[in-house]
Amino acid sequence: MLFNSFQFLLFFPVVTIIYFLLPHKFRWIHLLTASCVFYMMYIPVYILILFFTIIIDYLAGILIENADEERKFRFLIMSVIANVGVLCFFKYYNFFAANVDLLLHKTGGTANLPLLNILLPIGLSFHTFQAMSYTIEVYRGNQKAERHFGIYALYVMFYPQLVAGPIERPQNLLHQFHEKKKIDYDNVVAGLRKILWGLFKKAVIADRIGALIDPVFDNPHNYSSLAINVAVFLFIFQLYCDFSGYSDIAIGTARVMGFKLMTNFNRPFSSKSITEFWRRWHISLSTWFYDYVFNPLVAILRSWRKWAIVFGLLLTFFLSGLWHGASWSFILWGTIYGAALVYEFFTQAVRRRLFGMLPLWLNHALSKVITFTFIALTSVFFRAKTVTGAFYIYKRLPGIFSELSTSKSAARSRLFGDLDKGALLTCFLLILLLELTHHKEGKEPLDMFVGRQPRAVRLGVYFAMAFSIYLFGVFTQRQFIYFQF
Amino acid sequence: MQLNNVFRKCFKRQDITVSPETSAADVTGWDSLTHMILINDIERHFSIKFKLMEIMKFNNVGDMLACIKKKVNT
Repeated sequence: MLFNSFQFLLFFPVVTIIYFLLPHKFRWIHLLTASCVFYMMYIPVYILILFFTIIIDYLAGILIENADEERKFRFLIMSVIANVGVLCFFKYYNFFAANVDLLLHKTGGTANLPLLNILLPIGLSFHTFQAMSYTIEVYRGNQKAERHFGIYALYVMFYPQLVAGPIERPQNLLHQFHEKKKIDYDNVVAGLRKILWGLFKKAVIADRIGALIDPVFDNPHNYSSLAINVAVFLFIFQLYCDFSGYSDIAIGTARVMGFKLMTNFNRPFSSKSITEFWRRWHISLSTWFYDYVFNPLVAILRSWRKWAIVFGLLLTFFLSGLWHGASWSFILWGTIYGAALVYEFFTQAVRRRLFGMLPLWLNHALSKVITFTFIALTSVFFRAKTVTGAFYIYKRLPGIFSELSTSKSAARSRLFGDLDKGALLTCFLLILLLELTHHKEGKEPLDMFVGRQPRAVRLGVYFAMAFSIYLFGVFTQRQFIYFQF
Repeated sequence: MQLNNVFRKCFKRQDITVSPETSAADVTGWDSLTHMILINDIERHFSIKFKLMEIMKFNNVGDMLACIKKKVNT
């Protein structure tokens, strides 16, 4: 089920109202059922995959907790193999088979591996990672194994974050299902506000930008370099609004019922370095990779010292790229980030000295612009679908200089021939609005700021946003970009 | 304290003084990336080897100290 659909508009209040009407001991059954329904709106039979991994991990958790040192590790490996195995089969088998094919052809061999017609189960990359965080934390002794099967199943399947995160940790989420939640006015209001804002970001900002720039990315050959530059600049905002919008709806939905999910985005465009960017963008994923891949890997290889860090960064981000998609574009995207972080690691002292010579405001402004440019440029890999497609876009970018140097008026009319002037202006205004809210958030959480305003102002804002969503929102069922992961 | 000297050598600064409550937030240069280099320096200095699970549980200098003492005494 999509969050930006009329189905969800009905599903959410019904589920929430029944939740609060039921006595606490039945609530887990209700939420679990609702989550199954939510999931099965996509491809019903795939729920069997979830049941498979849930049963394995539930058993693994208990076995790990009761076992001695040596067998603990074996049970952990069993759980990891089951989850990664399912993920690899459904997500990576075709990519693997196609590339082995290619390699065999190039070396004169014959293809043997059949390509299977498998549709990726929705949310697979998210819930398998969330499940693995459970067994790893039980293994590390940071989490008690959950004995209640239904509650464990709910931890994996909790519908607000089932299909696109935030990827939760058991220490944060699991115990909340045991707690009796009372309907709380502040939670309901904060949750609804978050949903409204998330929906606005997704249905109005992201989808409006998408509608404008999709033709450019789909057929860049037909567009001027100026239009391509504009599309690349706008895309990162589309990606951000799409994904953070979804996260906000997920967090808000959970909040209305009294559940606190982790923050997934924290004003990523104010990052002054790529290192900082990964502390602000898709936080639940980057902390997952840090805690369960990077840190243990570097710890094991610590005698390599600096080179352990280099290897750790490259491998972790290679895997992160791969997590995003079974394609060379994503792998390249990830590896580029790994290389960028290695660069920042080696040049930290030099950069601090150099930038330290500038006045602070310039230091920060320059750092942010450089970081933003890097992020915007690399996001092309997210959109271009193929590596060749991405490089075509990059090749066209510098063409803006010759277009602008020949005739500004010709360039301008070409741009407005390529991209609708009104739509372009709307998108820029929406981005301005977005950045103004981010700027405000730097001083005070948005929720608190809105909460402080007089009632008339608050209601006005809510109504304006809801009306904009209705009026400007694109409801032709545009998929959330991160659903493909 | 010997551990102090290890910190000073690792982060190349003489003004570092650590206490049991010190953590990465308190020392410039000690971050998630350089943490393992520090651990390796400590191991080399005291001729000990930490287990992976022990390293994962270090929250501050005090945790490290307790572990070092245990290993040096056995």
